Amino acid sequence: MDILFLEAPFTGEVSLNQKTIQFLKDKKVKAVGLYASVQFCNNLDRVKKQLKELKIEIISSLPDRTHVSHQLLGCDNYYNSLRLPQKEISKIEYYLYIGDGKFHPLALVYGQKDLVELKEIICNDPIGKNFQLLDHSFVKKILQKYRASLLKFLNAKEIGVLVTIKPGQEQFRPSLFLEKKYPNKQFHYFIDNVISFDQLENFPFIQLWVNTACPRVGFDDQENFQKGVINLNDALMAEEILSKESILNQL
Amino acid sequence: MALYDPELKKAIQKIKEVDAKLVCIQLPDGMKPYAKEIEQKITQETKARVLIWLGSNFGACDIPLGLNKMKVDLLISWGHNVFHKKEGW
Repeated sequence: MDILFLEAPFTGEVSLNQKTIQFLKDKKVKAVGLYASVQFCNNLDRVKKQLKELKIEIISSLPDRTHVSHQLLGCDNYYNSLRLPQKEISKIEYYLYIGDGKFHPLALVYGQKDLVELKEIICNDPIGKNFQLLDHSFVKKILQKYRASLLKFLNAKEIGVLVTIKPGQEQFRPSLFLEKKYPNKQFHYFIDNVISFDQLENFPFIQLWVNTACPRVGFDDQENFQKGVINLNDALMAEEILSKESILNQL
Repeated sequence: MALYDPELKKAIQKIKEVDAKLVCIQLPDGMKPYAKEIEQKITQETKARVLIWLGSNFGACDIPLGLNKMKVDLLISWGHNVFHKKEGW
């Protein structure tokens, strides 16, 4: 079977709106990390020109799993997802996200949860011509619950590992590292096409779930996991994450 | 749908290129209300039969399973581009 992906690009003008420009001027911003969702990332010329006129340096990259520079996926929500050298990251004063909605820019918030200081995300929506500033306060409750789940994981003995079988999401082999890292825990592997939240309660012996499917499930779907859930990457580094000074540990 | 370009020319070109007889179209939620328009355009311009994927379209990581069993020749997935899977995220 052949597969054709069509990006369905935005048909309107992709540019910085007046509120965004004013904010950049007011804050005297010198450098931004520029990212966009797929409908906008191939049409950033006008935005780049506007930033140049404002004498703002553009820093960007080809993030994990993406196909073109500047493209941001919702799953690019780990500290190294953007594949930016530390030297470049340190120059960035704000991330500038071009697109609508909060799903994609929140990846940049989650990606900074283990850092001491968060770079805020300027959301410039070319459709609604809106401006919004995002920081961790938008996901404070989610991150608080996530931290509690990390703590619970360290003490739990019976862990349910959720593996979905869609080729783009299946991460069974990496999940087996859990057994090496935590030999005193019992890991049970559950497979599904997509995670069936309504089935979780049928396995009452599970004390906590580890998600290996879309990493956003571990954050955005916290409410669907009565026993709590953490993502595979964080499960493998739970002690390190909980013992360092970070935004997550300050909430 | 005026907000987003459905790139139907590319879709039809691909259907003709691979001579697809059975095509599955997978749309993000925002484009699902326009499934009928897309289906009609494809059936007018090609000889393909269209199956509309009812379920999720979270990303290029979220390709429907089992289409080969249905003998689907081509899946067209809107709203995403090529996804480079990374083992262990």
